[in-house]
Amino acid sequence: MRGAKSAKWVASAIVVALAATACGGNDSSNDGGKGEVDPNGVFRLTNSEPQGNLQPANSRDTASGQVIKGLFSQLVDYKKDGSAELVYVNAESVETEDNRTWTVKLKKGWKFHDGEEVTSKSFVDAWNWAANIDNNQQNSYWFADIKGYEDVHPSKGKPKAKEMSGLKVVDDHTFTIELTEPVTYFNYKLAYSAWSPLPSKFYDDPKAYGDKPVGNGPYKFVSWERKKKITLERYDEYQGPDKAENGGVELVVYNTLEAQYQAVASEKADVITQIPPRDLPKYRQDFGDRAIDAPMAGVQSIVPVFYGDQWKLGDEKNAKLRQGLSMAIDRKTITDKVLNGSRVPATGFVGPNVLGFQEGVLGEVAEYNPEKAKKTIEDAGGVPGNKVHIQYNADGGHKEWVEAVCNNIRQNTGVECIPDAKVDFQTDLNTRDAKKVKSMYRGGWVLDYPVNVNFMRELYETGADSNTGFFSSKKVDELFKKGDSAADLDGTVKAYQDAEKELVKEMPAIPLWYYSTQAAHSKKVNNVEFDLANFLLMHKVKVVK
Amino acid sequence: MPDLTKTEETEPVKAPVAEGAPVPPADPAVGKPRSLWSDAWSDLRRSPMFIISSAMILLLLVIAAFPGWFTSLSPRDSDMALYLQKPQFGAFFSPEWLGYDGQGYSVYTRLIHGARNSILIGVSVTVLVTFVGGLLGMLAGYFGGWVDTVISRITDVFLGLPFLLGAMVILVSFETRAVYVIVLALAVLGWTLVARVMRGSVITVKQADYVMAAKALGASTTRILFRHVLPNAVTPVIVVATIALGGYISAEATLSFLGIGLAPPAVSWGVDINTAKDLLRNAPHVLLWPGLMLSFTILAFIMFGEAVRNALDPKLR
Repeated sequence: MRGAKSAKWVASAIVVALAATACGGNDSSNDGGKGEVDPNGVFRLTNSEPQGNLQPANSRDTASGQVIKGLFSQLVDYKKDGSAELVYVNAESVETEDNRTWTVKLKKGWKFHDGEEVTSKSFVDAWNWAANIDNNQQNSYWFADIKGYEDVHPSKGKPKAKEMSGLKVVDDHTFTIELTEPVTYFNYKLAYSAWSPLPSKFYDDPKAYGDKPVGNGPYKFVSWERKKKITLERYDEYQGPDKAENGGVELVVYNTLEAQYQAVASEKADVITQIPPRDLPKYRQDFGDRAIDAPMAGVQSIVPVFYGDQWKLGDEKNAKLRQGLSMAIDRKTITDKVLNGSRVPATGFVGPNVLGFQEGVLGEVAEYNPEKAKKTIEDAGGVPGNKVHIQYNADGGHKEWVEAVCNNIRQNTGVECIPDAKVDFQTDLNTRDAKKVKSMYRGGWVLDYPVNVNFMRELYETGADSNTGFFSSKKVDELFKKGDSAADLDGTVKAYQDAEKELVKEMPAIPLWYYSTQAAHSKKVNNVEFDLANFLLMHKVKVVK
Repeated sequence: MPDLTKTEETEPVKAPVAEGAPVPPADPAVGKPRSLWSDAWSDLRRSPMFIISSAMILLLLVIAAFPGWFTSLSPRDSDMALYLQKPQFGAFFSPEWLGYDGQGYSVYTRLIHGARNSILIGVSVTVLVTFVGGLLGMLAGYFGGWVDTVISRITDVFLGLPFLLGAMVILVSFETRAVYVIVLALAVLGWTLVARVMRGSVITVKQADYVMAAKALGASTTRILFRHVLPNAVTPVIVVATIALGGYISAEATLSFLGIGLAPPAVSWGVDINTAKDLLRNAPHVLLWPGLMLSFTILAFIMFGEAVRNALDPKLR
């Protein structure tokens, strides 16, 4: 996504980025709270204070993301079981013939919480407003595929137009989206909350609206007591498939993850979406069958930087060194012990549960083999300087595993490995942007849309915005191009799968493990499920009488 | 005060009258003149607090200087198979004695190797603080006037900064924090106390007869300062500095605990306590041992300081 800064590098061992929804799903916990279900019961979800306001295109943090997911429904959604099957929510259909012009038909009879009808204009105006550089929305880069985006969001200067030429309203329930280039998976992108529709009342005073939002989702906004809680109530006239099975939600603010955990453990709150690292070893004992493990789609990697004098592009021996380092890391033991089983050893560059996920692409490169690691590195002439640094942010709970990875590397290959802590995530990102990373950095990535493209194109394409390691390979770029110009989604996914195999030879990153959700709930609720980006599916929660 | 320092002050006086005339013993009842220091020493030898604390300190110094004598492992030897293994109390002084931590490091080995940084920082800060603070305090006290005003105001400014908060502010601005950076940060904020004590002590001493005598005999300022004033004014400073030493060790641990002191791969008790706090619920032993070791070390230095004060402070006799 050109023109956008660091789309969504993940800050924390536990996830802190906002990413796309997933709906449906089957696993996770259905037991726990027993007894008769109260359809009007209200439950309390632990949360932190949202940064800024609740304008859907301006929310990047998990706290506001969770609220917005309750207040707004998108055109589409997708299943989280790995099939990534598309589900229509507010849209009747989203169709295309050439992957370039998409026709959206809306379901009739949908209303915003204030009674206004949801029409084509609700979407088109909202997108034009959010994409406009003058309105300074953090998620504006999501609209960059649309024709005319450059006019409303130029990289320099004032916008030339107020509307993107690619968006055309046909009638009240039909509109078309024209893209600058074909994107076979564009309909999946529409599931992200930046594409929310807005009622006409929004434009009267966008700021006031952000404090008291009106949406089209399963919940309507009741109140926001700053730094205390946000209250949502079920929207009874809701038309969508994800109608709330409870009476409402109170999103209660706690300052630390540890305090959230205490609150749920003592039944003062009902659901926690992340277990603090401190409590990971014991939370299964504390909560028994109310502890939840749910799948996510995200990868933790260490990423070499190719602007220093250590790592070189298009150099086979140099790539071998990175393969050697990868084989020196005992992923299984570290995920089991240091990370308490909260992560799954990675075998490829693409996160699980997305279209095109391949198991075992890395092959023996991801297998722990100290002898081979040492030999591979020696045969390739040794790591220049015989020393690597792994940069990470000290505020995300990474310290322990970075040190463990470093111990593996040092003891198994003889290459000195120094953990390089940056005070916080912002400092870490700034160092990456300033091209000042010494050797390698920690890079966590969680999905935006459930297609393997999301895990490769934005990270490893030459000049891509989030390619802060400055990897570049002609061969990989060609395979990406092939995927982008494929006739259909299948073709795109296949080409990118080939590209992933090619990446193993070049090693633009050393994938470590896949993210997963660890959560827990009180005795008062059951049917607690999560999407692939660690958001609670609030509408599914059932409250026990 | 002059009566405490007979030998010290008789010496320079002796020089001009050296020929023939022996100095009359100050106290005819005692055959050999006893200095404050020999008095103190004979006191200390009999103090159990001094003997216990100095034995502990000696042991700590040996550990800090030769960690290899106590453990065969390096503090960075990790074996994940031994993750959080419980202590084996039968196996004295072997790596598994006190168990293993969250990186598969031997807790005992880390304790031994952590001593060096703690002691090094404690001692270096004390030396630096005594030197800088002592010198400034002495100048302020002896010269008085505008010199005193300037130095005292600067002291006041630094004294106004909360010690830990100040150290945090200084350290946060450093990208990498080596031992010397922490030493400097603590010393910059710690010298004021010594300076004040020294100033007060010098003001008392400079009015003493033997200082007047030296002045009258035409001794140079430097000579007066270092031969007469310093030896007689230094006692309270030594006491304050020894007691503060324990405080500096704990300050280092506190800063490392907060993540702005030493950083891995440096080994320090504070660093280990910081790492161990997250494991408290399922492996309390990892936190317990470095915590105990830190407490004992601080206790040893404070007891030592206390014993020295009892011996040196005439008011306590």
